[in-house]
Amino acid sequence: MAEPQIVFDNVMKRFGDAVAVDRMQLEVAEGEFLAIMGSSGCGKTTTLRMLAGLETPTEGEIRLNGQRINELKPSERETPMVWQSLALFPFLNVIENVEYGLRMRGVEADERKRRARLWLERMEIAEFETRAIDQLSGGQKQRVALARALVTEPPVLLLDEPLSALDANLVVRMQGVLSRLQKELGITFVYVTHSQSEAFAMADRVVIMSKGRIEQVGTPREVYRQPASRFVAEFVGSNNILSGTVNNLQSGELVVDTGLGPVAAVRPDDRELTRGQAVELVLSADNLELSTTEPDSVNRVACKLVSEEFIGTVVTLLVESPGGVELRIQKQQRDIDQVSLEEDMPLWVSWSPSSVYVLPG
Amino acid sequence: MSDRLIKWLLWCYLGLLLVFVFSPILTSVIFSFNSDRFPTIPLGSFTLKWYQTIFDDPDVWSAARTSIFVSLCTATLATFIGFCTAYTDYRYGFRFKGAYLALALLPPTIPLIIMALAMLAWLSKLGISGRAWSVVIAHTVLCAPFAMGIIRLRLQQIDPDLESAAWNLGASEWSAMKTIIVPFARPALISAFCLTMAVSFDEFAVAWFVAGLNKTIPVLILEVLQGTTDPQIYAIGTFVFLTSITLVIIAQVFFMTRGRKPTAPA
Repeated sequence: MAEPQIVFDNVMKRFGDAVAVDRMQLEVAEGEFLAIMGSSGCGKTTTLRMLAGLETPTEGEIRLNGQRINELKPSERETPMVWQSLALFPFLNVIENVEYGLRMRGVEADERKRRARLWLERMEIAEFETRAIDQLSGGQKQRVALARALVTEPPVLLLDEPLSALDANLVVRMQGVLSRLQKELGITFVYVTHSQSEAFAMADRVVIMSKGRIEQVGTPREVYRQPASRFVAEFVGSNNILSGTVNNLQSGELVVDTGLGPVAAVRPDDRELTRGQAVELVLSADNLELSTTEPDSVNRVACKLVSEEFIGTVVTLLVESPGGVELRIQKQQRDIDQVSLEEDMPLWVSWSPSSVYVLPG
Repeated sequence: MSDRLIKWLLWCYLGLLLVFVFSPILTSVIFSFNSDRFPTIPLGSFTLKWYQTIFDDPDVWSAARTSIFVSLCTATLATFIGFCTAYTDYRYGFRFKGAYLALALLPPTIPLIIMALAMLAWLSKLGISGRAWSVVIAHTVLCAPFAMGIIRLRLQQIDPDLESAAWNLGASEWSAMKTIIVPFARPALISAFCLTMAVSFDEFAVAWFVAGLNKTIPVLILEVLQGTTDPQIYAIGTFVFLTSITLVIIAQVFFMTRGRKPTAPA
């Protein structure tokens, strides 16, 4: 079997004493939409810059189509990038910006105009061909940056937080544009972001990084429902994490003593657990049920409402158990409307054993 | 009410300042058109004869030629060196960079007379004193820091991703410099060129020491002045003033440009 398109083989990057990327092992398949996610300083941008040749790995090897590319200059690679700052050339107009990559490859003037125009049309900005960059809106600039990067028809496109400067509506629209583009072109997108919604909305696989290390690689669903570590569980989504000790072990079932009392869970079949072992449980905020009367569920606890927060159609409630454990609950606005909420009112929180996830390790 | 008074006083202050600065120059312009041999009031009649005198004087022509040659060469060299220094500062971090920059900015802090003497001693040691080129060398040393200062300010405004973006799109380091850095810095380059040309065109002390027989205009003025009090001095002065002020204004205009205008659509 041929090697995947992009391989990071034990790649290490140090800046002085600081380790930016720590022994990275990562493979990206051709035509994949890969998102690299993490908070600032986690090494995600450094990873992208190493792929573009703007940083050289201190150790290890990066391979593109089986070829070591560590020593290739940025200009010798076919890995154009869409920059967080966009980095459009301010003294060139729209089409001159788009043409730039072709000009640097010595493509003749008529031909590069023709190809640049095709991309302007494709990005629906053909009418701005001769506009100056500073006469464009944020979304239009974004499209120019995409056209400029794609005009040479590269096998890989790198994107460094390209949507971070746009307002919320536009972000959603550009996500659509990017997803469609990636599918149509069938080329590999490596997308760096700190935004979970962007990564989950578009990516085939997500890489979660922290302090230079990869915490987890998986589909958005895997990362969301089966986080590989406490860090991922905290970073992704709004999860409640409970520490406890294993109390009762039966085939297929497991009871863990926690600050909320005993919690029943489905026993994970991929690892050994012993009685008395310390474990961490993840209760997804969107898996918790809410009612005003005592529900008929194994896992239930009476809580009092602390606060509620509206974000569009989603409401996040913060409740407190008698033992002082705070739980976050996420509900659709219309579901909440059916329960009339008042401050300090008693509420029953319940969840099914199958929705409890036992963190590995 | 008091706001208006303050505004009015400030305008007066500005006016007085301009009168103070420009009245000597204006006086020399006026006397350059005055028919009397001595600068006295009341004025004589209007005349162009002093301009006629300098126009017919081969010494003035030769000095003007030397001055133009020297200032053009100086401006070219100083702008080039200034750009290189500013670019190394923008692009690279290295040990002793502070010392490097301090050294690059040093020449204007040295008193001109000391500089001139040192230049004379050094250039004659090398056997190249007393030529127009000697003045070019000395003036370049003097002017390069000004060019660097102007260009450095401009390069500080550049988005640091621009050059990387150019490499990323397939530009070699050389093409990126040519197609991205230089066009971005162009207003500052023009500004630096004009300003260093003006400085070189006006400079007397260093030129007087190292020029030898290749007199520049400021040197010629002093020599004429030592011999006579002929109003042709005013005529030459007016000419020099107009040249310098034009260059300085051009420099200022380009210095103020943000340089964000698009090139004409092709």
